[in-house]
Amino acid sequence: MARLALVLLARRLALAVPILFAVSALVFVVLRLLPADPIAMSLPPGASEADMAQLRRDFGLDRSLPEQYAIWVGRMLAGEFGTSIHFRRGVAELVAHALPATLELIALGLLFGILAGVGGGLLLFALRGTPGEHALDVGTSLLLAIPEFLWAILLVLLFGVLLQAMPFMGRLDPALTLPPAVTGFLLLDALIAGDPAAFASALRHLLLPAAALAIGLAPLVMRVLRASLQEAIHEDYIAMARLRGLPEHRVLLVHALKNAALPTISLIGVQAGFMFGGTVLVEVIFAYPGLGNLMVDAVRNQDLPVIQAVALIYCVLVLCLNALVDVLYMLVNPRLRPA
Amino acid sequence: MSAFRRCLRSPRVVIGGALVLAVAVAALLAPWIAPHDPQEQDLLNTLLPPAWAAGGDPAYPLGTDQLGRCVLSRLLFGARIALYVAVLAASGAMLLGTALALLAGTLGGRTDALIGRAIDVWMAFPPVILALILLVGLGAGVHKVILAIIVVDWTRFCRIVRSEVMVVVRRDYVAAARLLGFGRMRVLWREVLPAVLPLVITVMALEMGIAVVVEAIMSFVGLSVEASVPAWGVMIADARQAMFLMPWGVVFPVLGIFVTVLGFNLLGDGLRRALDNRLIVSREVVGGRA
Repeated sequence: MARLALVLLARRLALAVPILFAVSALVFVVLRLLPADPIAMSLPPGASEADMAQLRRDFGLDRSLPEQYAIWVGRMLAGEFGTSIHFRRGVAELVAHALPATLELIALGLLFGILAGVGGGLLLFALRGTPGEHALDVGTSLLLAIPEFLWAILLVLLFGVLLQAMPFMGRLDPALTLPPAVTGFLLLDALIAGDPAAFASALRHLLLPAAALAIGLAPLVMRVLRASLQEAIHEDYIAMARLRGLPEHRVLLVHALKNAALPTISLIGVQAGFMFGGTVLVEVIFAYPGLGNLMVDAVRNQDLPVIQAVALIYCVLVLCLNALVDVLYMLVNPRLRPA
Repeated sequence: MSAFRRCLRSPRVVIGGALVLAVAVAALLAPWIAPHDPQEQDLLNTLLPPAWAAGGDPAYPLGTDQLGRCVLSRLLFGARIALYVAVLAASGAMLLGTALALLAGTLGGRTDALIGRAIDVWMAFPPVILALILLVGLGAGVHKVILAIIVVDWTRFCRIVRSEVMVVVRRDYVAAARLLGFGRMRVLWREVLPAVLPLVITVMALEMGIAVVVEAIMSFVGLSVEASVPAWGVMIADARQAMFLMPWGVVFPVLGIFVTVLGFNLLGDGLRRALDNRLIVSREVVGGRA
């Protein structure tokens, strides 16, 4: 089973490689449309022409476009991400700090969203045909009309400003010292360092932004799960299970849920891809030092090396995630496995 | 029952349509019903709460921001920008996406493969990231935001409509039209397009809600309208700075976006249910239960 999964995953990832090249070319071409001159903006006023030409050479901006693209792709493949024009630090170093922060946020957001969504979906199904189902339906429609970044602002307003119950800036209480960075994932690092105070603080800082992400996901999971449960419940094996005298909650939780899981998994896969987009603004609003914050800072300062690298990393994440979901789907549903 | 009457009997369509209509009327009449000029600063009356709260001033029904500008007036003028972007961006994405979908679905072969590859590439981007780098390339501004939404979201139409076109072109009546000697364009225009139109209209309503959100995000980040223009995203960004002093300032523009997006979502959802042939068949067989 594990070997099968690896083979499927490798095959699926190989399909993503040409897409990634096309993506990188698209990013490169779009960013070369830029009307402003990032070099002129990054130097102090009064810099000489010679200084600008030197800097342009340093960043390789004096060559032809295909040359620049080839150089850039070559460097990215070699793991050299270049230097940020605005932060004056290596892009790889900036990304190495930001990426684990974003992944931690996504993981928690997905976890909350899936738990709430599956719970809510079962509840919707259990309440089918009652006024409760209708009320819950209306509620989810209302939730879905508020995008993640507005949930982020509302949560900051309610829990941060009005109730003053939760922190809403950054990753850690400024009074605490950061645990030594082993993995870059603050929760794990705090556990490794055996620092419960840092762990609790990091978790508290993650709760509101993860909730903002989860609120967008949960209603969709609820709806899809209910729809597939409604289909599954009319199947013969459900009637069989009932005839065998199994209690209704067992029929629902064991037999129906397992078969209703497929559409839910593919929905979660698609939505997790969108969630990477959702983190961008959520991170900005919670001043959370992840990829999204880095991206928006870079965009505001027209910091091309950072924008290029971070945009590509987002695409790599989405492509990997899609591959992972496809493989998971094939593992859960043997009918889809290639011979 | 005609499609139009079926739509009017759907509570979703009616409520969603009413919400969108209300926002549109507010936007159109903004210059006449707004109590103040949205840019007018009253520095003696900054950060006033709404009129019904303690310390409120009836001259400013929803209070003022940190420069003493009337929140209600800015909210009404902000609706103009939101709907302007919604209509233009969604129409553009619809035209581009549907045209490519019709091409891909009817020509098939290489055209279809090429468009399919393009969609794969586009789907690798989180939409916000693609929109951000487009705005870096194009420069900031409302019209650039509209262009960015079109370039990012044409795939939404193209994916959904393309698969529907593929089903439709295999139907007997399309084959019959071909056998009667109708040209490709005529079959496309007279037989295929009408069949996919309900789907296009549905996605269009949903896309308008998405465009409102994207515009708010981009003006929040400072890549859309100029900072002085009263867009909802700008209002939220401004009010966020003063959130500790005046929490109300954030609530109203969020409410504006909520009502507009809810309207478009309900409209789209209701239209989908009312216009979807498969659902109609099952409902009319089952006897009116939706």
